[in-house]
Amino acid sequence: MNLGATIVRFRVAVILGLTLLCASLLVPGFLGATTLSLGLDRGATVGLIAIGMTVLLIARQIDLSVGSTFALAGIVAVMLQPSLGIWPAAMAGLIAGAAAGAINGLLVVTFKVNPLVATLATMLIFRSAAHWLTDSQPVPGTDIMLSVSLSKIHLGIFTLRSALFIGAVLLLHVWLTRTVAGRNLFAVGSNAEAAKASGISPGRTVFLGFIFAGLFAGLAGVLQSLTTNTGSPVFGSELLVAVIAAVVVGGTRIEGGRGSALGTLGGVLTIASLTTAMEFQSVPAYVQQVVAGCILILLVVLDRTVRPGPRSHAATGGTH
Amino acid sequence: MTDASAALSEETGSTRFRKDGRWAALLSRAGLSIAILAVIAYGSAVSPVFFTTGNLVNVMTSMAIIGIVVVGMTFVLVVGGLADLSVPATIACGAILSLALQPMIGPVPAFVAAIGLAGLCGLVSGVLVGYVGINPIIATLGIGTIVLGIVQASVGGVIVYGTNPETAMLVKSRLFGIPTIVLIFLAVALAGNFLLARSWWGRWTFATGGNPKAAEAAAVPVRAVKAGAFVITGLCSGLSGALLGLTLQSARPLVGTGYEFSAITAVVVGGVSIMGGAGSVPRAVAGLVFVQLLTNVMVLQGVRTPVQGLVLGLLIAGAVALDVALRRRGGA
Repeated sequence: MNLGATIVRFRVAVILGLTLLCASLLVPGFLGATTLSLGLDRGATVGLIAIGMTVLLIARQIDLSVGSTFALAGIVAVMLQPSLGIWPAAMAGLIAGAAAGAINGLLVVTFKVNPLVATLATMLIFRSAAHWLTDSQPVPGTDIMLSVSLSKIHLGIFTLRSALFIGAVLLLHVWLTRTVAGRNLFAVGSNAEAAKASGISPGRTVFLGFIFAGLFAGLAGVLQSLTTNTGSPVFGSELLVAVIAAVVVGGTRIEGGRGSALGTLGGVLTIASLTTAMEFQSVPAYVQQVVAGCILILLVVLDRTVRPGPRSHAATGGTH
Repeated sequence: MTDASAALSEETGSTRFRKDGRWAALLSRAGLSIAILAVIAYGSAVSPVFFTTGNLVNVMTSMAIIGIVVVGMTFVLVVGGLADLSVPATIACGAILSLALQPMIGPVPAFVAAIGLAGLCGLVSGVLVGYVGINPIIATLGIGTIVLGIVQASVGGVIVYGTNPETAMLVKSRLFGIPTIVLIFLAVALAGNFLLARSWWGRWTFATGGNPKAAEAAAVPVRAVKAGAFVITGLCSGLSGALLGLTLQSARPLVGTGYEFSAITAVVVGGVSIMGGAGSVPRAVAGLVFVQLLTNVMVLQGVRTPVQGLVLGLLIAGAVALDVALRRRGGA
């Protein structure tokens, strides 16, 4: 493997390094613990959802409804606080997220609806449900002090949310690379027929994948609602692009069968540090969009052009 | 990704390679017409306002703006390009530029330039999808983000207002009682139908969507055809955006938000397969008519907005699940 190929292989690390270098040169105090922990905390929301999305993309599925699940789970967690108490309500929020994922899984696996269409539909449905439950008004939580304690910074850099994210990514890495279930996921994603012939049930794997993605979108939503002490039906509507960008920048292929947890970690950190650095420099939001979009497109083009492979129709999955 | 659900089951995996069961195809086509008639009957029965000229003209006007996008989106789905998610950006491009350029180069050149630039955005997405081989979802999501950012940056991120009232009057004018916008939509739909159903470009589009390898072996320029579908969608949503901008006489950057999903909903409810290789403009338009009439009846009945969204979501999922089930049974 020559130098170029090595750089391409570890491009996430290279890009992350370059981003951090530029950011620390341009933004004074960027590498300070407070700035980093803030950026990490912001990135953790995208990151938690990206963990679920990584699993789904590896299994050659996609979930467009994560933003709506995020809002719905947060609303459930806040609305049930008066009747159940804070922590049981948070659990209920997580269950709502997993249930949303199960609905997606049911549509895709049992009713054989294309995942893109199915989650497009549930994106509308969950978002509508969120508006319905709340009358399109933000719902306040019961304990305002909880959000303060949740946002506390531990060990100089981690908030609860970012610690959960880092822990979950490392667990996902072990799960994907060291366990049978992880290998099965890749098998289903690269060739569902072959996986089936080897005794893996693609339907079951995909179904569980959707529940997993729903659960993590729900977790991110519950944490967001608890730290802001609010459940809002408009939460998470702009998250989808950032999540897909983070996962794809991390080298996970949308065509399935390839991806890694550490890549996603790199992707999330890159997007988070970019956003934080640009905000500190007061770059207008729309210029930030252009930068994020350009990085996404550049990386994907690089991915397609550098590595030789069947590319004429792979874009639509038509070669199978 | 397109094959993802098909690969899960051997039964559905082969549907695209054989002719649909005749009665199943008949039923799913007649089903939509029956559904449209049912909505009209129900609407007329429960609301005195529904079957009036005023209301129907309103429905047609709001339908026309989405409808122009639907025509383009049909090409993207048929060619096997999944979906064009850059539509909100190209609509904003059409709306903002057609208004912002008016003082500089005059209303008509501004209109043409806005549509041309939107087409150019479509070309970039098309090249990425067709020639570079990037997944259409990623490509159009990325290009959409970039285009929206550039358009906002070019006008400083503010709302743009129209400066030429005559063009607004022209767009809002009526011919034989029919709004000009509706006539433009009908013209676009007819042209789209001719291109897809009657021309060599349409045959190439079906061939590419049905079986890209076979199409390439038959000397169809698959990459160009695929890229072309995104150019068509870019031009359509640019036109739609420009008309929207001229009608409203103001354009926000987020003016096109949600149009991509409305368009996909109409196309999918119309029975155009997201797997590619099957579908037609009239079916997509029929899907649009159904969705629009249903929404209109719900609005007249005072159904709350979230419930409307819920119904539309269930409709998409239901329509596609039914389509899959019918095909499976029809082919057996």
